[in-house]
Amino acid sequence: MNIKHNDCLHFSNIDAAKGICRLTGNIVEIDSDACASYDKKAKCKFCKNFTEESTDGIGTCVGLKVNDWVYGELNAVTCSSYEEK
Amino acid sequence: MSNIKTPSERARGLRDIYYMTLSTTDMEFPYWYNRKWKELDGEVTVVRRAMALKEAFSRITPNILPGEKLVMQKTYNYRGSFPMPWLSEGFFIAKEDDLFKEVENAANASADELSEFGQGGGNVTKSFGNVVSIAGKFGMRKEEIPVLVKIAKEWTNKSVEDLGRKYEQMVPNYQMKEDIMKTLICMFDSGYTLPQGREVINYYYPLQYGFDKLKEMAIECKSVVAGNAHGDGILGMERLYFYEAVIHIIEGLQNWIGNYANHAEELADKTQNETLKKEYTEISENLKWITHNQPRTFKEALQLSYALHIAVLNEDAISGLSIGRLGQVLYPWYEQDIAEGRITREEVLELMELYRIKITAIDCFASTGVVGGVLSGNTFNNLTLGGITKDGQAACNELEEIILESGVSCQTPQPTLSVLYDEKLPESFLLKASECTKTGSGYPAWMNNRVGIDFILDQYGEEGMDIREARSLAIGGCLETSPCCWKELTLNDKKYAVPGGAGQPTSVGVHFVSNPKILELVLTNGYDKRTDIQVFPPHNKELATYEELVETFSDYYKVAVDILAKTNNVQHDIWRKHNMSVVNSFMKPDCLDKGQHIGNMGYRYNATYNVESCGTITMVNSLAAMKKLVYDDKKYTLEELKNAILNNFGYKNALETGNYSMATQIKEDGITEWDKIHSDCINAPKYGNDDFYVDSILKDYEEWFCDMTREVESLFGKKMYPCQISVSTHGAQGAATLASADGRLSGTTFSDGSMSACPGTDKKGPYAIFNSATVWDHSRSQNSQLNLKLHPSAIVGAKGTRSLLDLTRAYMRKGGFHVQYNVLDSNTLIDAQSKPDNYRDLMVRVAGFTQYWCEIGKPIQDEVIARTEYEGV
Repeated sequence: MNIKHNDCLHFSNIDAAKGICRLTGNIVEIDSDACASYDKKAKCKFCKNFTEESTDGIGTCVGLKVNDWVYGELNAVTCSSYEEK
Repeated sequence: MSNIKTPSERARGLRDIYYMTLSTTDMEFPYWYNRKWKELDGEVTVVRRAMALKEAFSRITPNILPGEKLVMQKTYNYRGSFPMPWLSEGFFIAKEDDLFKEVENAANASADELSEFGQGGGNVTKSFGNVVSIAGKFGMRKEEIPVLVKIAKEWTNKSVEDLGRKYEQMVPNYQMKEDIMKTLICMFDSGYTLPQGREVINYYYPLQYGFDKLKEMAIECKSVVAGNAHGDGILGMERLYFYEAVIHIIEGLQNWIGNYANHAEELADKTQNETLKKEYTEISENLKWITHNQPRTFKEALQLSYALHIAVLNEDAISGLSIGRLGQVLYPWYEQDIAEGRITREEVLELMELYRIKITAIDCFASTGVVGGVLSGNTFNNLTLGGITKDGQAACNELEEIILESGVSCQTPQPTLSVLYDEKLPESFLLKASECTKTGSGYPAWMNNRVGIDFILDQYGEEGMDIREARSLAIGGCLETSPCCWKELTLNDKKYAVPGGAGQPTSVGVHFVSNPKILELVLTNGYDKRTDIQVFPPHNKELATYEELVETFSDYYKVAVDILAKTNNVQHDIWRKHNMSVVNSFMKPDCLDKGQHIGNMGYRYNATYNVESCGTITMVNSLAAMKKLVYDDKKYTLEELKNAILNNFGYKNALETGNYSMATQIKEDGITEWDKIHSDCINAPKYGNDDFYVDSILKDYEEWFCDMTREVESLFGKKMYPCQISVSTHGAQGAATLASADGRLSGTTFSDGSMSACPGTDKKGPYAIFNSATVWDHSRSQNSQLNLKLHPSAIVGAKGTRSLLDLTRAYMRKGGFHVQYNVLDSNTLIDAQSKPDNYRDLMVRVAGFTQYWCEIGKPIQDEVIARTEYEGV
């Protein structure tokens, strides 16, 4: 899996293209490669309850009361059912 | 105070980040709303909606940027927004889905085609990398596009847009409504585009009681009303569901703020920077407190009011959710903190600078036609200053002075500032406000408090408005006089009367009827040449007299307003049944007392629907030219004038040349046939020169318009009234209109506002405009709008400040409702148009709002450049 900056816990989003690295204070592009200090952010694509992912990044969430489709890039930092794969 | 003041280092850093931030939309909030909504199929709608909103608020990823003291925003992005497919799902999937053809044929396609965004600033006008441009303004991550399309499809035939369209088609002569929209006689449907807004929010209940206490009260109310109709066989039982919804929504907001508190705590734990650690810790403690309780300090009260503002904006597509008289609402905390030494004046100034940046970062996701053509990307979070107190004394205070100072030191488009001018206000305050206007920020705008009070009393008297309550008014949106009320706030046993919104949105009703376009169709027998549509039934009149011309204009106008009012009533009825407000409802009086949400007229004042016009002075000048040249002097026949108009007086269309002001039009080669008539049209009497020949036409029109609109009924069974601002519609609607009899050429913008002169036609200075503008009673209308452009050299130094105040005062004393100023050199604007990268922070006043120059579309840029520039006052 290609790890991007917005997969990192130290990344503070600014917009669809960039954010701030909390460790360095620098502006970084989302799509540039994460560095050695990378720390995984909770996202559906990293969760055990994310299954049946299709090519467009949409799969199924089986972790909540009712199963439903979900997309892998969705942040899960506020999800109590998040379980890292 | 001078224009060389700068923001604090912290505010400057965050504003610099804003300058490079792209307007970004994402799917987090819509995903969770949609998922929960589906799960609750069968639930009572208001409860279902509250629970879906609760889920979405609870799931927002918190994100605090380093350096922020005032935290939270609409999404995890700094300048974020998101689509609401449950409201309108059609346009943003147009290019992704089979719905494309249907959307292309939809009535609002014309608005989209003729609206332009500025190409600079944060606008994402083109896709790049993994960022997709949506609606010509917003950037979305490529990986979220399938999510957008999937959710949108799930709302097809269920959204307010689709359901509203289904039922509005049952209104007789519906096809005419579609034709009116396609021809841009009307600019947009408010029911599913911006169903709330141009109103004043009310922060009182959470500020007074705190969330825990409010929740307790709602639980108690539930037990009182459960199973009891209490004499109201239709709505009595509804109260139970509303209180249940309020409990859910409060819990959702508590989760949202609580998540931010936890985020701040985590950041404090992780950072090695001791200063940041201390700041994050304080942020966390403050957020934890206001999650449950009444704020203790100014900082907490400001944070809570800001969070509540964002909360309302996240429940609906809203433009013009005005902050109201914030300096008076938060004064109790300011006064007590200063007295106790808990905060300094300088700290408050910095907080208000940070507040400006946060409010400027508010975006609203809607279609190109609405966000670009109407709003110029602005969201009109207006902050009102001045006015008078409940007992008729000057209401300004020291905190309002700091708000003015922050508007100078940290210039940003929002919140725009409005002064409720009243003779009771002290000279020092008025001069301070004039100083702020002088800096070229475009704010504060100046509104006449007494005229506003008269309007409020007249419009809302039937709902119980009295003179003391009318004094609580504030400005909603750009300059919409909005009904408010006083509530008693207690802080540490001291009581304060604080003002806040108490009325329905005023962004609703019949919006942006193009006066020049209707006049055009009078000349063309109801036929629109641009689209080849017979919009109105042919009148087949010879228009042999001026009176017959005006009468036919009135007839077409009434037909248009009638069909638009009825169809919009249907749309808004669907909205109130399926997408009713819960957050705004629970905050605004008297929903909690009545146990009813906005859709059930829970608000104290409900007669807020209006008829909004555009291009008034272009129409007035055109009528004057026809009266003079055709009917009085008989120099030309109406047919000759009509031919000249149809041939655009021998010029190219503005859409062809790409220039939209009269100053830069190009003639067709070798065509001189209409030169003489064009010259005569241009030289015909023009509004703004204290000439009663033309001003009497304005007077007659206003008297007719103010009466006619009150004959129109809203879905709440209330009389409507006029709203006379153009926002940015004079660009798009001008683009859809042929040349006009005043000499204006096809496709160029109309006159802006409603009391501004057409650029270059006001020859006798501002005081002549004041005389022209005040030939009618402004208190009969929700507003009027006058924009003036002054060269900075006209008001230099302290003497210039005094001159500017004298100028404003002269207009107010004549009974004018509103005046605002662009204080800048037109040459700067011309240079900025060719070199936008050099002017990222340049702001201009458009028509009721300030916006970054680089984010405004070219038609409006051209119009602002062309405005008459006064070099002396």
